[in-house]
Amino acid sequence: MKKIKIDFSKCTGCHTCETACSLQHIENVVNPKRSRIRILRVGEANLPVIAGPYTEAECTSKGIVVFGGQEHDVCVLCRASCPAKPIFKEPDVDIPLKCDFCGEPPNPQCVRWCTTEALTLVDVEDEKKN
Amino acid sequence: MDGWVGRILRVDLTQGDFTIEELDPDLAVEYIGGRGLGSKMLFDEVDPKVDPLSPDNKLLFVSGPLTGTGATSGSRMTVVTKSPLAGAIAHSNVGGYIGAEMKFAGYDVIICEGKSERPVYLLINDDDVQFKPAGHLWGKDTWETEDIIKKEIGDSWKARETQMLYIGPAGENLAKFAAIVHDKHTVAGRCGTGAVMGSKNLKAIAVRGTKAITIADGQGFRETVTAILDKWKKDEGLSYFGYTGSAAAVAGNNKRGCLPVLNYQRGTFEGVDGLNWKVQKGLLVSRSSCFGCPCHCRPEYKLPDSKVGERHVGLEYETVALLGSNCGISDYVAVIKSNDICNALGMDAMSAGSTIALAMELFEKGYLTEQEAGLKLNFGNAEAMLEALRQAARREGFGKILAEGAYALAERYGHPEFFVGVKKLEMPAYDPRRLQGMGLNLATANRGACHNRAYTPAYEAFAPPERLMDPSATAGKAAMVIRLQDTVTGLDSAGLCLFPQAAMMPPFQVPDVVAQLEAATGAGYNEEKFMLSGERTWNLERIFNLRAGFTKADDNLPPRMLKEPLPDGPGKGQVCRLDEMLPEYYQLRGWDEEGVPTSDKLSELGLEGLL
Repeated sequence: MKKIKIDFSKCTGCHTCETACSLQHIENVVNPKRSRIRILRVGEANLPVIAGPYTEAECTSKGIVVFGGQEHDVCVLCRASCPAKPIFKEPDVDIPLKCDFCGEPPNPQCVRWCTTEALTLVDVEDEKKN
Repeated sequence: MDGWVGRILRVDLTQGDFTIEELDPDLAVEYIGGRGLGSKMLFDEVDPKVDPLSPDNKLLFVSGPLTGTGATSGSRMTVVTKSPLAGAIAHSNVGGYIGAEMKFAGYDVIICEGKSERPVYLLINDDDVQFKPAGHLWGKDTWETEDIIKKEIGDSWKARETQMLYIGPAGENLAKFAAIVHDKHTVAGRCGTGAVMGSKNLKAIAVRGTKAITIADGQGFRETVTAILDKWKKDEGLSYFGYTGSAAAVAGNNKRGCLPVLNYQRGTFEGVDGLNWKVQKGLLVSRSSCFGCPCHCRPEYKLPDSKVGERHVGLEYETVALLGSNCGISDYVAVIKSNDICNALGMDAMSAGSTIALAMELFEKGYLTEQEAGLKLNFGNAEAMLEALRQAARREGFGKILAEGAYALAERYGHPEFFVGVKKLEMPAYDPRRLQGMGLNLATANRGACHNRAYTPAYEAFAPPERLMDPSATAGKAAMVIRLQDTVTGLDSAGLCLFPQAAMMPPFQVPDVVAQLEAATGAGYNEEKFMLSGERTWNLERIFNLRAGFTKADDNLPPRMLKEPLPDGPGKGQVCRLDEMLPEYYQLRGWDEEGVPTSDKLSELGLEGLL
């Protein structure tokens, strides 16, 4: 099974994945706000977050996690498109966006355009063997 | 339009009003965008004789058709105005995310006119343009300004997506080398554009956009970009400089003998090991990049006393050389701190370093006393340098004099021969006595002494032996400089960055640039048209300067470069032999002996009747 592996430490925040996603899903259009992957910056860290399923209800619990000495709002790291979160929705019309792996077999363009290997496509079985 | 978003935001600061205009498609194709389009608009709208700090000067922010598209290194935006430092046309280029965000908000160009009665900042959300009071931001440094505006936006998600340009105290106080800063560390540095923004009482521009850039041939564009990405990943030059940033050039240029040392008195520095990029390796925590750039050339540091989340973004070669060796300083951490002061207070680190180096030479030679400066400005005194930088930005104490720039400082103390620059713009960190072609470029660059107008070290210094042009030779340099000047003008206009183009092997891969430009715009670009546009803009900038009162006499190098032979290094005994290159340059440019474009050249470029 293929998965996109995200290595936060390798992301430099170039947002190239967002343009790749946009061009893949909307013909002849570059618009990061319509991308299903977003790079979110917290302090000096760049966090790639890939859109997961839409959830109709906002979380009732809120959390903060700490790693690398830096506080991260769990809401920022969450993949869901939800009523409380304005990203992973089409601007203006609010239709939720979700990553579709760029089809079958998976050929995610964000991975294809990522030059730092912050995003890689891995086979889960291979990962276990390693 | 594809590539361009087709709109101009015209802001009238005097009236507190704005209009949205359509971009003329023919003009856009002819001048591409960025620096080219900005120069054309400035030329059409501003009298070249205008006082740069008067409300009649205009301040233009211009993206290129490739900015924000995902084209390789398509992050750049150019600030165009008339320079208060040089009195020449100013174009100062900035990366980061602001150029892209402007286009997502639907503007290729933001043009600021007049002068606000009170300090303001602009808050732009797509078509919604608000004038916000900025009295409480006046006096705040750029880092505080960003944080305060983000708080004022309220919505944390919107704040996260908002990109900003702002000035620090240096711009407010009209320091002649004040810069416009973006993202706390990314700077439109040169030519004093920050002072023009300050003169308009404009503290900041904050932009967020949700719109699209359309691409003419999306499929072709994707194929072109992915092919270039694959090539860049394997490129030897980019893999190296992408990891180290330009600061890696310090050690090599010291060996070559073209490092500025002690106000450009020498070409090699005994303390160079303290400035070696390997020192920063221990401090390096991660890499960062600008929008859409696979080069990732900005290292981020942590200092021993850094707090969590505190960022110190990579030093550029110019910064290390001009705030380091040129001031006799061999402590990398001191340079990081001085660079931070420049970014936070909103100053050009290059001009600032050069100005302080000159003050240090005056001090060492006894023309400037400790009593007068209030500081012990001997070469190598990092503490004094940090304090001098703070004073310059705030125009306090001796800073009142420093803030006028190196040319004014040298004049004031009766030693104009110590000033090293062209058209009053302080010189960058490549000694033209060692690199002859660089000398010709510096002398002829329209904005004054700028290495980036034609980055000749790609051929005179860093090239492998089979491609290396003899740095000491003058033959063939005029043609090389012209080709590079026109190429770089095209890059600045398209919205691409010079750095990867100069670092890659071989340098300046124009066909790749043109392929992306054509796929994105579908406007009929080929290499010839691209180069012609660069040449057209170069000539137009030249005419702006001629109308402003510049003459052949200003296409000159400072006496130190022409008359004082280099005392050390491989270039020992050499001066820059500008007179061997300049007449050929004029001739190849199609200009007369006085450096004025001929009518034939003007009609060839579609610029007839402008002189």
